[in-house]
Amino acid sequence: MTTVIINDTIRERVQRIETMPAIPAIFLPLLELLNAPPEAVKLEEVVKLASYDNAIAAQCLRAANSPLFGLAKSPESIRGAVMLLGLRKVETILLTCCLSNAFPTKRWPLDPTVFWRHSLGCAMVCRKFSEKMGARDHEKAYMAGLLHDLGLMVNCIAFPEKFTHSVQYALKEQVAMDEAERGIMGFTHCETGSALAEKWHLGTDMVQVIAHHHAPERSEAAQPLVALVHLGDLLCRMRGMGYGYYESRKVDLAHNPAWSILQKEYSGLEGIDLVRFTFELDGEVAEIFELVATIFGGAAVQS
Amino acid sequence: MTGTQPALATTAPVKAAMDPIYRQIRDLVYKVSGIYQLDEKLYLMADGCARRIKLLNLKSPREYWELLTAPASREAELRQLLNELTIGETCLFRSQPQLDALHKIILPELVMEKTKQVTKRLRIWSAGCSTGEESYTLAMNMMEQSERLLKGWTVEILATDLNDRSVEAAKAGIYGDYALRATTDYFKRKYFVTLDEKRLQVKSEVKKLITFSRLNLQDDSRMLFMKGMDLIFCCNVLIYFDGPSKSKVINHFFSNLNFGGYFFLGTSESLMKLNEQFHLVHFPGAIGYWKPSLKSGKL
Repeated sequence: MTTVIINDTIRERVQRIETMPAIPAIFLPLLELLNAPPEAVKLEEVVKLASYDNAIAAQCLRAANSPLFGLAKSPESIRGAVMLLGLRKVETILLTCCLSNAFPTKRWPLDPTVFWRHSLGCAMVCRKFSEKMGARDHEKAYMAGLLHDLGLMVNCIAFPEKFTHSVQYALKEQVAMDEAERGIMGFTHCETGSALAEKWHLGTDMVQVIAHHHAPERSEAAQPLVALVHLGDLLCRMRGMGYGYYESRKVDLAHNPAWSILQKEYSGLEGIDLVRFTFELDGEVAEIFELVATIFGGAAVQS
Repeated sequence: MTGTQPALATTAPVKAAMDPIYRQIRDLVYKVSGIYQLDEKLYLMADGCARRIKLLNLKSPREYWELLTAPASREAELRQLLNELTIGETCLFRSQPQLDALHKIILPELVMEKTKQVTKRLRIWSAGCSTGEESYTLAMNMMEQSERLLKGWTVEILATDLNDRSVEAAKAGIYGDYALRATTDYFKRKYFVTLDEKRLQVKSEVKKLITFSRLNLQDDSRMLFMKGMDLIFCCNVLIYFDGPSKSKVINHFFSNLNFGGYFFLGTSESLMKLNEQFHLVHFPGAIGYWKPSLKSGKL
């Protein structure tokens, strides 16, 4: 009962905060495009969406021109970028730019570069994991990974002082961020994130992921998706794509409750060689770091 | 010292330029040995292959692939390639993430679990210790904890290798710049004496912690007597064993570990599900295998 009361209070508080960003105009249509199978997405739709916001289109082009993609010819338009990079990459860049513009990072207690590395890293891990275990909707897994920590952005903006203390505590004690938040603020990014996700009408599954990715067994719907994000989040934090500090813990993925949840749904899970999966993920880290650096203009240095 | 995270290296265009045969070779090497080369380090594998190709007077990587997969040459050539891939990898303080996990997570856990026991004793085994780099790194790190976490504890390190000459070199504990490239000045000053311009020698107080001896990991009768370990390190040794021998040795390691103990392989090495009793555990930047403690009820 107490939990419900706390949740309601947080939800009301988040939804009433005036500084809380409105959902960016192209966010939901973009999300919809990303959730659709690639063959069903028309190039024109993406171009049209990007053209609504000049700042985002420009940011996307800057990213597309990065040496990371090694394009011989620099794209001068979103259409050109899609042709050269592929639809999925451009959609991801657009969505990331769109979200980051909605949450101005001035005086964030959390390093935005670190935050985006974690979010994009988790998105990539969730998609790869989803493919390996034989799930159907890999793009949804990617989206869930990308958005799972929406609440951290909310906390940066809505509760800057308390959240600063939480981040400092997590760093000093080397504990998980949600543990620090709960201890210092009395609630976590899961509650604040899901409140905003509800306000933005992101859909039940995404709300469940954002609300329960630290305790998937508590989710009331989309439990396998929530479990997948839980594991992806943990793995990222153990392989250099956490929140930029040392978390003093060991993680046993195959004996985690999330693993059992997935086991019931996907027979392909047993065949996954987790060590090799980890090594493969390591091979992607540099690219994620460079992508973030390109989108946000920071240096491609590892923290 | 390997960093906590993989180093930034090749960009996408360089990756694209790599002959796809190297990915095939990487997968074959992983399947046979458990050693994995990251995409960004595939050039190291390409270098190793190039040295072999030159030595064998072959014309192309494709021809080398054929040699690696032909039944007659496969086993011997894979062994040669593995030598190329692991050569020069050894140095003191080779894996900082592994040492961080040891200090920050594993030792506090082991100390807490074992505190109730009468003798406060920790036993560590460096299996396949080669010329002693890993054993001394462990010894120095344990000594660093002797006034803190391990105050009042006895630490025993057992270091074994098949090769007599390696064991002798390990006992001498003399290292040059290359082996010491990841050792900080703090450790150099505290635990080494200068031998000459280019070499340092490990101090005798560090050596006292370690017992070096010759041991064949496939000698079942001797393996049975290696009981009571809390930590076992076996880096880039099992890669040379065939599947059944590897399984057998790993089973020995499992039974020689105390409940709640940990087993570590090299940083790019995998156990490849050869033992289902070990729990694969991730630490920040490091992977280990845990023998569940009795009270966890997971055995």
